[in-house]
Amino acid sequence: MPDVRNAVLLAMSAPPYWHCGRTVRRQSLWMAVALAPAALCAVWNWGLPALRVMALCVAACVAAEALCQKVMGRDISVDDGTAAVSGLLLAFMLPAAAPWWLVCLGAAASICLGKMAFGGLGANPVNTTLTGWAILFVSFPLLMDANAMQLDTTFVDPLLRLKYFGAAAAEEIPFEDLLLGRQINGLGAGQAGALFLGGSFLAARGFVRWHIALGFFLGVAGLATAFALADPATNASPFFHLATGSVLLGGFFLITDPANAPSRPLPMFLFGLVGGALVMLIRKYGVYADGAPFAILLANLLAPQLDLLRPKPFGGR
Amino acid sequence: MSVLKEFTKGLWKELPPFRLVLGLCPTLAVTNSAENGLGMGAAVVFVLTLSNMIISMVRHIIPAKVRIACFIVIAASLVVAVELLMQAYAYPLYQRLGIFVPLIVVNCIILGRAEAFAAKNGVAASAADGLGMGLGFTMSLTFLGSIREILGNGTWFGMAVMPEGYEPLRIMVQAPGAFICLGLILAGMNMLAFRQARRKGEQAEALARQQQGCGACGGCAACGAGARDAQAQ
Repeated sequence: MPDVRNAVLLAMSAPPYWHCGRTVRRQSLWMAVALAPAALCAVWNWGLPALRVMALCVAACVAAEALCQKVMGRDISVDDGTAAVSGLLLAFMLPAAAPWWLVCLGAAASICLGKMAFGGLGANPVNTTLTGWAILFVSFPLLMDANAMQLDTTFVDPLLRLKYFGAAAAEEIPFEDLLLGRQINGLGAGQAGALFLGGSFLAARGFVRWHIALGFFLGVAGLATAFALADPATNASPFFHLATGSVLLGGFFLITDPANAPSRPLPMFLFGLVGGALVMLIRKYGVYADGAPFAILLANLLAPQLDLLRPKPFGGR
Repeated sequence: MSVLKEFTKGLWKELPPFRLVLGLCPTLAVTNSAENGLGMGAAVVFVLTLSNMIISMVRHIIPAKVRIACFIVIAASLVVAVELLMQAYAYPLYQRLGIFVPLIVVNCIILGRAEAFAAKNGVAASAADGLGMGLGFTMSLTFLGSIREILGNGTWFGMAVMPEGYEPLRIMVQAPGAFICLGLILAGMNMLAFRQARRKGEQAEALARQQQGCGACGGCAACGAGARDAQAQ
């Protein structure tokens, strides 16, 4: 007995012993903080219906994740906040007048099919939010069309104007209107200025990889400039393309999701570049007015191939 | 007894699209309504039963080196017959199924059953196997088609079944809906099989099978290797 009393008590734990303090929960928290200005702007521009859609979508996503984890017999981990952020991002892409069942269906599809069916956080091959969005968009094109849903407004849909009335009509919309979110779009995706503020904060703090965001915006702006130089009558300026649709939301918050992006600087940059170029190709030649969500889904599928771009090991041939 | 066993195995234990995961091309392509699934299934029952019987009859005459070509010729003749019959008696269905009727020739179930079963067994057993597999295929296609039609169109065999004001989930009758639906059904089948195994106290065996990766799907039971293992046990 005396031996035990005198022995030094050693706490044993597995390495690593040094942590940077970064957790999934904190990451989601900062994502939510960065999305807050855009959420405020959305309420400012669209009123309480926008708040209703955002609250419902977040709640439905969290409930869906908890339910899935319960059914799968796993520990419930909704307190890490990833489901809530996915829900907020999905709400940002819906029109403010979306009916409640559309919001709930989209949230359930995002979490159940886009995340939990593949095994939960980090195991999904394409973006969680965009999976739900794509299912809604393909199923209910009319209800997802903000232009048809928001009738009592003085705002215009810049991308439809560009597609059907040409570049001159699109350029008539003042750039401040686009920045302040006075455009018809998803309720949060149109708040260009606020999203830019929040997104650059995230990129500067390293919560999202700036390589991906920069590549994405360069892809959009580069191709837009090339088109505009080739034929200024039918193609709008690169600034117009950056501030409309879900380009800012996609470039800062969706394509940068680490679960389905490459993990080295050069592949990350190329990944963003491909996504951005696809946005412009879909906008110019596709049937959809805004190509950003589909472009990001396609780029996500390319991520494993881009991840194969690796440096040569020392002495390798 | 044995004929009955050959017949019933295609209905659940070796259900073609969901257990063997064979014949996915028509399974995914034509099941946007229950009626299309049923029609496609009926055509496959006809071709599969007759091709199994004929191949089983001539199995000693066919040289082993050119057997695949011979199987294809037999299946192709039957498919032409079924195509002409459909044109005569079910022209709207023929138009809806389109290219997928001629494609029955290269359906993996037809060739798979010919190679794995009809070329090695007697006429009665082969006919039972073909009929069972064909009916299992029809059931699966009708089931998948029903789910997709009810969710994606609000109807079942053309009758409205959903309440007034139901907003159809259009993605279900389009191509992505087929993949989503098939994936969910496969997941459901696996869950069911795992539950059954656990209830029988075969948890350890089921786990081992799952870890091996192969064998969990029962796909290799369709070819010689699986049959040999079964005999060895």
